[in-house]
Amino acid sequence: MTWWVWLIVIVVVVLLLVGAVLAIQARRRRGGVIVDPAGSPRTKGGGDR
Amino acid sequence: MTRLMRTSKLAKLPVVTMGGEDVAQIKDVVYAAGGGQVGGFTLAGRGLFAGPLKQALAWTSVASLGADAVMITDEGALESTGAVLDRSASSGGSGGNVLGSQVLTDAGVDLGKVVDVIIEVSQGGEGQCDVVGYEIEASEALGSSGTDVLIPLPDTISVSGEHLIVPASAKDFVGHDLAGFGAAVEQFRAQLKADR
Repeated sequence: MTWWVWLIVIVVVVLLLVGAVLAIQARRRRGGVIVDPAGSPRTKGGGDR
Repeated sequence: MTRLMRTSKLAKLPVVTMGGEDVAQIKDVVYAAGGGQVGGFTLAGRGLFAGPLKQALAWTSVASLGADAVMITDEGALESTGAVLDRSASSGGSGGNVLGSQVLTDAGVDLGKVVDVIIEVSQGGEGQCDVVGYEIEASEALGSSGTDVLIPLPDTISVSGEHLIVPASAKDFVGHDLAGFGAAVEQFRAQLKADR
């Protein structure tokens, strides 16, 4: 293969790696609204009734 | 003074000390044990490649929660994530993320799935952060399938990682934006008390 084919392959691989790292980071940093984080028993007395 | 906010607006808010130091950003909002209130926040580091921190912020350590930052006195306000989560662990739910959970009435009707949580922040004195409603992607039961609507919650709520149970009368107090939703919450809760 000629040098420019190798160059394209390397650029594509680098872009894929950077994209993967950014996607993993975004997932690690994604927030939520957590309930009962220790996971104790399932139901809870309901409502203000 | 109280203010309604979506919890999605809290995510990624910087945590700033009174000395002006930017120490972290909000990752998760954690319900307090017993439900109905926010107990604290888990944190992530600042910067693109920073991950979740081992420190968290209890609501009692928050000096002020504004539209653009969470203010704390100093870095000493942060504590271990385990300590903050342990204090929130007795709420009796199955654990997990409320976002995406199915909302059911106590009559067994599916109202939709949670896309956001509405909190009421009261500043000054012993400021509280109450969970007052859910923004849900409405099911056909609400007559506006697929649209996002706001439903009010009682003072004490049933929460778990999968199903959220609300009184059937919550359907009558559905709102479409935050303006006026505070009044709908008050009316809903007053009706619940009157019915008891």
